[in-house]
Amino acid sequence: MDSAHLNATTMNATCPACGLLCDDVQIVIHQQTIQVRNQNCSKSQRFFEQAQIVTTPKIAGEPASLQASIQHAAQLLKAAKAPLFAGLSTDILGFRALFNLAQKTNAAMQHINAQSTQRNLRVLQSAGWQTTTLTEVKHRADVLVCFGTDIVTHNPRFFERFIWVKDALFCDANQREIIYIGENINTSAGISPTGNKPTVLACNTEDLPEVTAAFRALIQGKTLKCTHVAGIPISALNDIATKLKQAKYGVLAWVAKDLDFPHAELTIQNITESAVLLNQTTRAASLALGGSDGDTSISYAHTWLSGVTLNDAPIAHDCMVWVNSYSPAKLPKDANLPMIALGQDDSGFEHAPDVFIPVATPGLDCNGTLFRVDGSVTLPLKKCREATYPTLSAILSQIEAQL
Amino acid sequence: MITHLKNGMIYDPAHQKNGVKEDLYLFQGRIVPKPLDPSKITQTFDLTGKVVMAGAIDMHSHIGGGKINIARMMLPEFQENRLQETKGYTEPEAHVCTPNCSHNATPSTTDTGFRYIEMGYTAAFEPAILPINARHAHLEMGDTPMIDKGGYAMLGNDDYFLRLLHQNADQKAINDYVAWTLQATQAIGIKVVNPGGINAFKFNQRRLDLDENNVHYQVTPREILQKLSRAVHELGIAKPLHVHCNNLGAAGNFQTTLDTMGASDGLPMHLTHIQFHSYGTEGDKKFSSAAAQISEALNKNKHITADVGQILFGQTVTASGDTMMQHLNAKHANPKKSVIMDIECDAGCGVVPFKYRDQNYVNALQWAIGLELFLSVEDPWRIFLTTDHPNGAPFTSYPHLIRLLMDKTFRNKAFAKLNLDAQAMSNLTSLNREYSLYEIAIMTRAGAAKLIGLNDCGHLGVGAQADITVYTDQPDREAMFAKPDYVFKNGQLVVKNGKVVKVVWGATHTAKPAFDMGVEKGLSEYFDKYHTIQLDNFKIADDEISDDGRGKIITNPSKSNQ
Repeated sequence: MDSAHLNATTMNATCPACGLLCDDVQIVIHQQTIQVRNQNCSKSQRFFEQAQIVTTPKIAGEPASLQASIQHAAQLLKAAKAPLFAGLSTDILGFRALFNLAQKTNAAMQHINAQSTQRNLRVLQSAGWQTTTLTEVKHRADVLVCFGTDIVTHNPRFFERFIWVKDALFCDANQREIIYIGENINTSAGISPTGNKPTVLACNTEDLPEVTAAFRALIQGKTLKCTHVAGIPISALNDIATKLKQAKYGVLAWVAKDLDFPHAELTIQNITESAVLLNQTTRAASLALGGSDGDTSISYAHTWLSGVTLNDAPIAHDCMVWVNSYSPAKLPKDANLPMIALGQDDSGFEHAPDVFIPVATPGLDCNGTLFRVDGSVTLPLKKCREATYPTLSAILSQIEAQL
Repeated sequence: MITHLKNGMIYDPAHQKNGVKEDLYLFQGRIVPKPLDPSKITQTFDLTGKVVMAGAIDMHSHIGGGKINIARMMLPEFQENRLQETKGYTEPEAHVCTPNCSHNATPSTTDTGFRYIEMGYTAAFEPAILPINARHAHLEMGDTPMIDKGGYAMLGNDDYFLRLLHQNADQKAINDYVAWTLQATQAIGIKVVNPGGINAFKFNQRRLDLDENNVHYQVTPREILQKLSRAVHELGIAKPLHVHCNNLGAAGNFQTTLDTMGASDGLPMHLTHIQFHSYGTEGDKKFSSAAAQISEALNKNKHITADVGQILFGQTVTASGDTMMQHLNAKHANPKKSVIMDIECDAGCGVVPFKYRDQNYVNALQWAIGLELFLSVEDPWRIFLTTDHPNGAPFTSYPHLIRLLMDKTFRNKAFAKLNLDAQAMSNLTSLNREYSLYEIAIMTRAGAAKLIGLNDCGHLGVGAQADITVYTDQPDREAMFAKPDYVFKNGQLVVKNGKVVKVVWGATHTAKPAFDMGVEKGLSEYFDKYHTIQLDNFKIADDEISDDGRGKIITNPSKSNQ
């Protein structure tokens, strides 16, 4: 695509700003400025309409040539005994190149969302689960329970695209029952187009382990002696259990980032095991939502490339390669060690990284590939505007050539 | 520039060569005639006394896509075991582990390519690509070095197809949809898994027999099989419809398998991992071998082919699109965990780890049933050597399986160690057949290439892709097939003495029969209304596979059957 073709064109783009990867985002491109037509998601608008940052490669905060920056980055990597590739906020194609360089330099890797990803992985590795994907939810879900989350903070279009739809194939979308369990949840997205209000069981976030344990026991058919759990009447929880048992396809959803307390995996396992139990007699499924910074994609690709998952254990290191294409506001924790930063922007760093090299953002400046949060769907990301910077993989292969 | 392979014993069933001493010449990735000018030969390998075959082709192995990656994620202990087992080894032996150690059940993409090529396999086909998950499958296969690959796209449980059937759409509409799917997913064949059953499970049906209706669409597995096999045939897709029958693993399911053969109406049909579908209900335990009935039917029905899906003992993981039966089997999971997933009104997946034990009655009999089938099916062109990797065992156990087939004494010794009740229920020791090298070459090379429609692979004729494996002829066939002397991939020496000496990236095989593009009108309306991605993003462009500079697409020719 040359720049002449980019003058005031309209296209459907795929949005990497959250795990839903909406690919119906209409954008209008005029020169280097992008405008989002469908005004239904602040995240996608922010992503596509972000201004192109004009910067240069830098060494210790001072503008430098690309070649000198690459050379310096290679030197830092060569000198390092235990490099860590962190952030990893990129797409599959970028990650493949990162993995390759990490192999060559004996580097460890950790994603920016390691903690929330690990909450889910611990459940998968301990018990497995029974899950579903978004198109199934769109057509089948007759009861949706949201545990400790409003979903829309993370996935703004979830209800619009998958719940309050016009053409659900196997159920009446307007009659869907929405249930929230948790603290201070914004439940407005759960109101049906015909005005049906969701059921809300309020409890503190830190009480979710207890509430979900009681819920799981009720699904299992156990009788609980107490009348309340964390302020919620058992009868109210039992009503929900009964609804799910009578439902044709109940969906139990959570967002790992919202379950930010110690041993949240046990709470998630209460949710997933409840879904497994429901499947003894009817159909139900659990559904992990959220997703950002390519976390699902990086977790998957690392697994097939290495045979094992990434984890969230602290990693001792003496040099960091920080890759952050999607969330420039997020910064690495310890900035005192030698650091090579690759991303859109370095303006947020308190201390200038030893090397900063701007790279193209997949889905905006270059093509790419990402997994949707439900794991089964992989979508191409498109180049929307003329790129000013090389791709991550191009930079990495140049660094590799210098090693 | 020409490589000369001299004095080898050629086993090339496609050209009826059974151990004849002949020379081969390789040039620019192909087998070429003897050059007129011998000075063009730059490299000569003296293969006197060596066995020379085309590179082997695994026509059914779960090497790419969502299911195996879920297995990898769920089972980190498989890799940890490997680290334990290989402690004390130094490079380059660090990857050594037993052929059916759990690590090989869920190898990384790199390990997959390396372990295959080290055994002389130069191609493997992922048999269960969910169309919606095809991009993922190709990403993984793209990261699998050394071998050629390809896959079969799953249809028959997807809402779009079942609606077509429900609406009595004509065969042409079905054909167009099938051909469109093949092209959109960059696949080479079409598979159906538990026809209609994966879908029925989503409506809470727990079993589905061949003539039982899916409650929602009111269509039967038989209708699904007939429409799909006709579409595959009329489109001229070389690979016959790949069928994973209803009732996998259930005692008494052999009747479903026989009925499925009957449903083929004389059109070509491939029944996959048929071992898992050859169970009777005789004996005290109501579980018996029906290998005799199944092999008799296979011998009679010349239009039917099958691969075995042999089980071997040890830890592995089963990964299948068959959510209905995997959900039923999840109670046997070992270790105790499983993933069952409904996917996109398209299909599903079930991942259940298994440990096959030789002292377990059912497992021991499964082992015997697989071998009974191998030895009772007469035509090696119509039966294929698979373990349904990793479902029956990791593919790395193929050399062991080949020895079981070629060495009766070895086989009977293994049998004698099994659960005694299982021994009493099997006629395996009365089967005296020992496979010959020629028959092994048919099953793993010529036959597989013919079945899939790879005209340039699986043989050693002039013009063939120069994928060649050279073995030392030794009485221990397991040792022989585990470690070839040389493997050539596209004419390049890539393995020497069982070790990779050069890393290459194989091609992706596809088939793209013509179809009426008008099919996209209905599809596009369907996607806009019901799907959650755009039609254009469902389709995988050629350059997604070839753009990184190492992938390549080969489009194999279609037949003309209409």
